[in-house]
Amino acid sequence: MKNWLICIDDTDDIGTKGTGEIAEEIANLLANMSGGHASFVTRHQLFVHPDIPYTSHNSAMCFALRSPLTKAEIHQYAVAHLVAESAPAADPGIAILDVDSHYDAAALMDFGRRAKVEVITKAAAYDLAEQLNIQLTEHGGTGQGVIGALAGLGLRLMGSDGRVKGQIKLGQFEDVSLELSVADILEQTGLDAVMSTDKYRLALDERVQLKGKVKAVYLDHQFVLLVHQEAEQWRNAGKQALQAY
Amino acid sequence: MDLNLVEHAFELKDDRWIFKAGLAQYPRARQVAKLCTRFIPDDEDEQIDDEPRSCYNCQYRRWMVAGFECLALRHLLKK
Repeated sequence: MKNWLICIDDTDDIGTKGTGEIAEEIANLLANMSGGHASFVTRHQLFVHPDIPYTSHNSAMCFALRSPLTKAEIHQYAVAHLVAESAPAADPGIAILDVDSHYDAAALMDFGRRAKVEVITKAAAYDLAEQLNIQLTEHGGTGQGVIGALAGLGLRLMGSDGRVKGQIKLGQFEDVSLELSVADILEQTGLDAVMSTDKYRLALDERVQLKGKVKAVYLDHQFVLLVHQEAEQWRNAGKQALQAY
Repeated sequence: MDLNLVEHAFELKDDRWIFKAGLAQYPRARQVAKLCTRFIPDDEDEQIDDEPRSCYNCQYRRWMVAGFECLALRHLLKK
């Protein structure tokens, strides 16, 4: 079994399947076909600027895969799904990193950081991918998605960037809250920790009120449910609080 | 779409309809979306407001550094 990081970007258009959903499908496909394991998908916010074309947002979607598949096999199956599911007007790109190989992680993380604050060219993305032996390919349109795909790898490697795709559904509703212990939350969700917005890690026996949409973030290389305290009660953090991730 | 709403909530800059209130002005973004006939919720992972019907959660908003542009208005008012 080897460890891989896979990231895709620019697959969608208004009214089409989101990039996160396509990433999750590829993750499940690769894990199921190889007896491997795929992590949660994380969403990484990139720079928004008039010179950068994007749909309603500019974000890349990344996941880790532990699998016996080779890089060529991963690329073949992932690209087939990417091409089949991407919107006709999209500019999709995919990046695949062999995490166990020797590569300059600092350079990759620096590229990710830069992609959050400046306009980067496709040529720069391809140059870095070649240096780091990362498979980086484009599949339609302008192929601009390769920039975000490579940047998403770097941001995921940093360990404290991005929200986890999707919602955590444990039986709470918009108007009906549910109280669970931290131990129960971790067991039922597969998350690694419950932490406050100021990074206090809750003990397993502490209790949390869950209500409405519950989402997790990627923090300190862990999948974390963020909470805040209100009237001496821990509650799941709202979307506004998650915006920083 | 209510043109009064357009005039009060957005301003035309360089051919783009920009939300006057800017970022993190949730009550205003919810109020405008409630009155808008073009609102379409974006992918859940791209929504940032806890209230679903909010301009900040709409597929037609295009984020900018200090706010967003409404593409629905651009398309509508070009016709």
